[in-house]
Amino acid sequence: MKKKVLIIEDENDLRFFIARALKEEGFEVIEAFDGEEGMEKAKKEKPDLILLDLLLPGISGYEVLTRIKKDPELEMIPVLILSNLGQQEEIERGLKLGAIDYLIKANFTLDEIVDRIKKILYSPK
Amino acid sequence: MFEKIFDNLKDGLIVFDKENKVSLINKSAKEILGVKEKILGKSIEEFSNFPKIQNLFFLLGKEIKEVFRKEIELGEGLVLEVTSIPIFEEGKKIASVVVLHDITREKTIERLKSEFVSVSAHQLRTPLASIKWSLETLLRGGKLNEYQQTIVKKAFSSAERMLTIVNDLLNVVKIEEGRYVYRKTPINFEDLVKSKIEFFEEKIKEKQIQFEFRILSKKLPKVKVDPEKIGLVIENLLDNAIRYNLIGGTITISLDLKDNEIEFSIKDSGIGIPENEKSNIFQKFFRASNAIKKEPEGSGLGLFVAKNIVEAHGGKIWFESEEGRGTTFYFTIPIK
Repeated sequence: MKKKVLIIEDENDLRFFIARALKEEGFEVIEAFDGEEGMEKAKKEKPDLILLDLLLPGISGYEVLTRIKKDPELEMIPVLILSNLGQQEEIERGLKLGAIDYLIKANFTLDEIVDRIKKILYSPK
Repeated sequence: MFEKIFDNLKDGLIVFDKENKVSLINKSAKEILGVKEKILGKSIEEFSNFPKIQNLFFLLGKEIKEVFRKEIELGEGLVLEVTSIPIFEEGKKIASVVVLHDITREKTIERLKSEFVSVSAHQLRTPLASIKWSLETLLRGGKLNEYQQTIVKKAFSSAERMLTIVNDLLNVVKIEEGRYVYRKTPINFEDLVKSKIEFFEEKIKEKQIQFEFRILSKKLPKVKVDPEKIGLVIENLLDNAIRYNLIGGTITISLDLKDNEIEFSIKDSGIGIPENEKSNIFQKFFRASNAIKKEPEGSGLGLFVAKNIVEAHGGKIWFESEEGRGTTFYFTIPIK
């Protein structure tokens, strides 16, 4: 069965490129523009992994992460932060809230991001 | 007359006598320190519980130490640059002159500048990610002919270079704000160096460089460093050694243990550093003239960042170079 990835990202172009790369690698992709929509789709679709941006219109990525980790139905889903913020404090805050990893968008290629997702989903726990 | 000049100076001035008691204090110093009481003839210690004098006391001590342009904060955002000069007569200290220079305004401007750079650098990352990923998507599509691929790859590497500059700028801002966080963990230095060499393997091959990695000491102990930051130092030095080398040149990296320090060195057979530019090489944004000629692109920040990281670890960084023959960079990290 195809693994499902939910992308929560407000920049249309960036979301388009990641979605495309993931689809090419055989993933099912669900897209959300902001935190509210992201929470809704997470609950409905129960994705295998969530790619989360931090600077979002409305509720922030940190808030989305907090809500996911508080929700007994969603807390097990790995959340990978993909943001352009990259200060040590921001990274630590994200990891402390329960993100599995933190990637700075511009520093990674699509290939590297897809690889990271595969590692998270397919490595034995 | 002399007193008037003294009192009208913008900088605060305090003169201590040989017993380290205040023998002169001008109006500005009183205003800066917020003292109204009679301070003449008293030692600074007697005022050490005054909130504004406390930090000055910590800096100068009872004996009014010699200090050159040290920054202290006096609360309420007031920042001073303090200089203390001892005055000697026949080898004996007879007085100390302390100058209090208010640099609050400069500090504010510096902070605003840092914020500006930091915000704009962050803003640049989003369009840069978009450019990089667009080009990558084109390449992944596999529908480009060889010529098109070459061009798209060039654009991609330009975007990568620009990203490096953005990241360097952010590092500089953090260094200048004094909050370049160091999370030190004990690591195996050899492994760190190896991983960085691997990272550059392709570039080394591309330039047909004869590369050697030598460990001169039998066993290297673990060192406590911030692996990401020290990794950046090695990356910057190795990148320079490749970039400013000739096709078919040589690079040798050596690790050695010397008096409780690990010494890293990287020797290249590149263009070298011109004699008259050697003293500027670690300056922010500085690039040697022959380096600009060879590689027009470059931020001039790599060595500045490297120096700050090494020094924040208690180490030293230096080089030997001859123009046209090559350069060797060294840095040390103390083992604690």
